Amino acid sequence: MRRPFALLLTAFIALGTAALASFQPTAEPTSSDVTDILVSRQLLESQDLAVGDLIDLAADPTGARARAFRIVGSYEPLPDPARFTQQRLEVRLHLQDMVDMLADPADPQSGESVSAINVALHDPEREREFRRSVFGQVPGLSVWSTQRGDSANPFVVLEQFHLAIAIVTILASTAFLLALMVMRSEERRETAGILRLIGLGKRRVLTQVLIEGVIIATVGAAFGIALALVAQSGFNQFFQWRYDTALVFVRVSPKVAAQCVALAVPLGVIASVVASWTLLRREVLALLRR
Amino acid sequence: MSATVIETTGLTKTFPMPAGPVTALRDVSFSVAPDEYVAVTGPSGCGKSTLLHLLGSVDTATSGTLLFDGRDISALPDAERSRIRLTQIGFVFQRFYLLPMLTAWENVELPQGEAGASKAERRARTAELLDYVGLSQRARHRPSQLSGGEMQRVAIARAIANRPRLLLADEPTGELDRSTGEQIAELLDRVHADGNAIVVVTHDPAIAARAKRRLEMRDGEIVAEASA
Repeated sequence: MRRPFALLLTAFIALGTAALASFQPTAEPTSSDVTDILVSRQLLESQDLAVGDLIDLAADPTGARARAFRIVGSYEPLPDPARFTQQRLEVRLHLQDMVDMLADPADPQSGESVSAINVALHDPEREREFRRSVFGQVPGLSVWSTQRGDSANPFVVLEQFHLAIAIVTILASTAFLLALMVMRSEERRETAGILRLIGLGKRRVLTQVLIEGVIIATVGAAFGIALALVAQSGFNQFFQWRYDTALVFVRVSPKVAAQCVALAVPLGVIASVVASWTLLRREVLALLRR
Repeated sequence: MSATVIETTGLTKTFPMPAGPVTALRDVSFSVAPDEYVAVTGPSGCGKSTLLHLLGSVDTATSGTLLFDGRDISALPDAERSRIRLTQIGFVFQRFYLLPMLTAWENVELPQGEAGASKAERRARTAELLDYVGLSQRARHRPSQLSGGEMQRVAIARAIANRPRLLLADEPTGELDRSTGEQIAELLDRVHADGNAIVVVTHDPAIAARAKRRLEMRDGEIVAEASA
């Protein structure tokens, strides 16, 4: 059969993270065909398990038809921002083991069937073509993509919300910065007056202010990024501890840092020049007057 | 080079006020020769300081002409007037107007650097000036670490740093005690003796008596003139 698409069934290690109804450590093997299993770090820690332990797993909440497995390792579940509040008590087992466990004993065919499988495409762009192909070969099978459009993606909505907050923050802090710079300039009114009195031109004083503005804005931006990095570490450590996850909640990427500098430095310089210009427009005597 | 450092003709200054314009200076005409020491006296509010500010081009006249070294500077753009202040005119004020964040040395060196003097020239001239005003030992002190008399001496050193043709002093002893004021007056005498034209505005008869020429002002006009 022609297979235009490579189907990556995660056949060896179970693809799903089966939410198993019950499990129980067992002292001795209950059967000779004990198979290997991987356990999430969270499950390992919460149940005080260790690699090499034998445990019984059952798909039935009552523990019926339990099977024994040997823990051969633990793994850190892939962090999922949509589920970070959930405790990741998970195992990974071989696909056939999972199918056997979930099979209905009253239905001889149930071991031969699954209700859903995940397929990873080498080329996600060809997802529509793949859907048409599968649907054409197995009518009645529903095939849908896990990738949704931006409008339906909650993280895109969240990102837009963050952008709105950032814009409001930048506007407010710009106004605040300008007010601070005006106050700072006013404090240096007499200094500007003395410089003008001894013969420094407006342009010369403004150049001096510009140089100071660039230095202050650059140092300020660097300090802001350093503060953000410290805050990033603090936030991530706290929330990773709080929700027992490896999810990275805050990341100050080089791109974000560059954007911050690109915004902060010109704004700082403009604010200092505007504030100083309001000062330098005055006559020398007005600057020196108490 | 002109026979006068400064020459005014019909100089008038009117300030717009909420209650109506106030004329601080009316039709003032006089000149200062390169070697003159002129004292301007008169009661408070008679226009002495206004005249000094116009002479120093830190303010502009409402009407009249002001020639500096034969050149009309009343209509010059701000940058050119700044350049004249930097290189041709020195100021000494009652309140000293030293930059508080700079040392005495740096205050004296600053205008030289702005005028384009080299580092070696600045170093030599600053040392010479601080020695001239008797403050070599206080060169590294900031204004806040100096007495009033010392600050005024630094201000005088700064004022003559670029070898100006005219030194303008507005109540230079106004904030000093009699003894310190006397020292400053003696220093101004030395500056004059070294070839600088000086115009000093003062209430102090002792200072005025040192000038070779005295102008008395009232209500914005020169009402009397006397020469020693």
